[in-house]
Amino acid sequence: MDNEDVVIEVKGLKKSFGENVIINGIDLTVRKGETVVLIGPSGCGKSTLLRCLNGLEPIQEGSVLLHGEPVEYGKRSLYKIRQKIGMVFQDYGLFPHMTVLDNVMLAPLKVQKRAKDEVKQEAMALLERVGLGDKAKSYPSQLSGGQQQRAAIVRSLVVRPDIMLLDEITAALDPEMVHEVLNVVLDLAKNGSTMIIVTHEMAFAEAAANRVILMDGGVIVEENPPEKFFKDPDTERARRFLSTFSYSR
Amino acid sequence: MRGYEVLFAGNNFLRLLSGLWVTLRISLISIALSLVLGILLGAAMTVKNKAVKAVCKVYLEIVRIMPQLVWLFIVFFGLTRSTGVNLSGETAAVIVFTIWGAAETGDLVRGAFVSIPKHQYESGLALGLGKAQLYIYVILPQTIRRLTPNIINLSTRMIKTTALVSLIGVTEVLKVGKQIIDANRYDAPDAAVWVYAAIFLMYFIICFPLSVFSKKLADRFK
Amino acid sequence: MKNIRRIISAIAAAAMTLSFAACGGNGGDTASENTDAANGGTAIYRTLDDIKSSGKLTIGVFSDKNPFGYIDNNGEYQGYDIYFAKRLAEDLGTELELVPVEAASRVEFLETGKVDIILANFTVTGERAEKVDFALPYMKVALGVVSPDSAVIASEEELAGKKLIVVKGTTAETYFTDNYPDVELVKFDEYNEAYSALQDGRGDAFSTDNTEVLAWAMQNPGFTVGIESLGSIDTIAPAVSKGNESLLNWINDEIVTLADENFFHADYDATLASVYGDAVDKENLVVEGGRI
Repeated sequence: MDNEDVVIEVKGLKKSFGENVIINGIDLTVRKGETVVLIGPSGCGKSTLLRCLNGLEPIQEGSVLLHGEPVEYGKRSLYKIRQKIGMVFQDYGLFPHMTVLDNVMLAPLKVQKRAKDEVKQEAMALLERVGLGDKAKSYPSQLSGGQQQRAAIVRSLVVRPDIMLLDEITAALDPEMVHEVLNVVLDLAKNGSTMIIVTHEMAFAEAAANRVILMDGGVIVEENPPEKFFKDPDTERARRFLSTFSYSR
Repeated sequence: MRGYEVLFAGNNFLRLLSGLWVTLRISLISIALSLVLGILLGAAMTVKNKAVKAVCKVYLEIVRIMPQLVWLFIVFFGLTRSTGVNLSGETAAVIVFTIWGAAETGDLVRGAFVSIPKHQYESGLALGLGKAQLYIYVILPQTIRRLTPNIINLSTRMIKTTALVSLIGVTEVLKVGKQIIDANRYDAPDAAVWVYAAIFLMYFIICFPLSVFSKKLADRFK
Repeated sequence: MKNIRRIISAIAAAAMTLSFAACGGNGGDTASENTDAANGGTAIYRTLDDIKSSGKLTIGVFSDKNPFGYIDNNGEYQGYDIYFAKRLAEDLGTELELVPVEAASRVEFLETGKVDIILANFTVTGERAEKVDFALPYMKVALGVVSPDSAVIASEEELAGKKLIVVKGTTAETYFTDNYPDVELVKFDEYNEAYSALQDGRGDAFSTDNTEVLAWAMQNPGFTVGIESLGSIDTIAPAVSKGNESLLNWINDEIVTLADENFFHADYDATLASVYGDAVDKENLVVEGGRI
């Protein structure tokens, strides 16, 4: 395999809060164009893993490399590296005092120092693409949760990151809005975006993922392509986990 | 002489206005200084260092426990007594109202900072904003908007509390009013009603627009 | 960022130190501190020579206590105290700066040397004399008793068995409780309540400071101050900072000398007569040459 293709590489990652071990040794490699979906029960460490990937949390052991450069919490180099990592959170995190367009344009203008006209064009195009063309001048409080989350995705995309990290981005949404947001993500996956997605939406995971990873107790339990993982998982743990999503009477 | 005539007798009205100017001068300078120091204090209150936090907390409590009147005596008379420094009444008043205003502002600033959700910081950082950029573009604008209504409330309180400064020899609008009422106590015993009404109106004209403005801002952030 | 935090901590610490220092100053034994200051050669007050060479005499007066010290509609200081203050500056050959003071801060103004003299209807008491030095008195106050014209009470004996209105916490209340147990006292919290009680006939007479009842009777036809001076006499005197002997002596000399021209009688005529009326015996209020 060509090493040029590796976007993010995690080696022997351990993370704990005090006595509490959250991630207990994880190795993970994500290549360009891959969509990796992380699933697992609550508290299995999947969200924490994501936060470690862009240096929002300090880690105790191991390393995270983005294109071979270390991502280290508290380091000055982190600010540069983060421009290559887009992250969308469960609770949107749009800035309430700015219009949608200003939210989207903030990082390209202030961090990347790109030309305003060019940024605006790209921002508008992206907003159109997710169906928010007419909301550019609205404030976040005037948008529905689904619209806000789509805007947040655009805000991360416009920076042109090498990889997108999506952390349970539909968990706080009403069911009817989940679909509109995941459609946007699915579209990104089809167009070859590199993504790591934490989600509880199994149907979506099956449709979007190139690879599904099941975490439990801070370690990777199973890692397989979706067609294998959902039809015929290798581990008993995966079977048990999947059974919690199906019903029969 | 009828009560309302007293308002315009001699140069009484002009004196009331110049008293009002003293009131405004003291309160506006104090408010401005309070904002600058209060923001620093508020920032200090949000740091993780426990010693700094404790010092700030003690400062805030001491300022709150002691009435502004006591502070005026401490700064105007006490300072002269202990160090020989002889401040003018107005300077002493500005210092006292700044000590008080900075403490209250600091607490408001702290509250505003704390009320900004964690995901606002993280979203900003995840976009690659530097720490300074994060504060300039994301945190401070939100803090200031949450802060403005409270600061305006504090300001109107400070304007009204300046009435205490007559105790250290500064003649502000309320004192001028008392002087006018007293000068005419034998000729126009009902002057008090008119003079106080005039002063009330003056306070109202200054404070009401501020109150309305702060209410509007507060509504916008509901 | 760490540097910023360090600076902020330093500022906060400095502010704390400052406020504690200020607290200590106020809470300490003021008398001893003044002595220390004097011994250290940095006396808080200005001597007579200091005042003369500065060309300006600073006197703390009331600005809203008509007819003793107040500001008229043209913004000019007027009153019994002011009349005297002007004369002091004139005789000293200096300009006069009048500083408005409040009753509650008169002692502090002298203790900190922020004025040279207090001439603000300042009643001499033992407690105050520990903190400031009083000169000879230039006025005196006693109790007065006001009653309706229809049934004037003109002597203490006539009070027996009558209802006397007093305001709680005043000298009058203490005086009558101690000395006239057979007088029935009707007590009120406020002066205006007491006056309306008198007007409604809820009492036969009302007693408080004579300066107060005299002025009120003048404004309210149908009432007379039958007893103009009763009980222990309080004196009113100029005061200077503790230890300021040169200024104190000069004021005392001045008060004695002014007696030759009956200065305070003239002062009374110019400032108090219109308020108390002609019927009042000046000698019950005016003190000439410091002799009570």
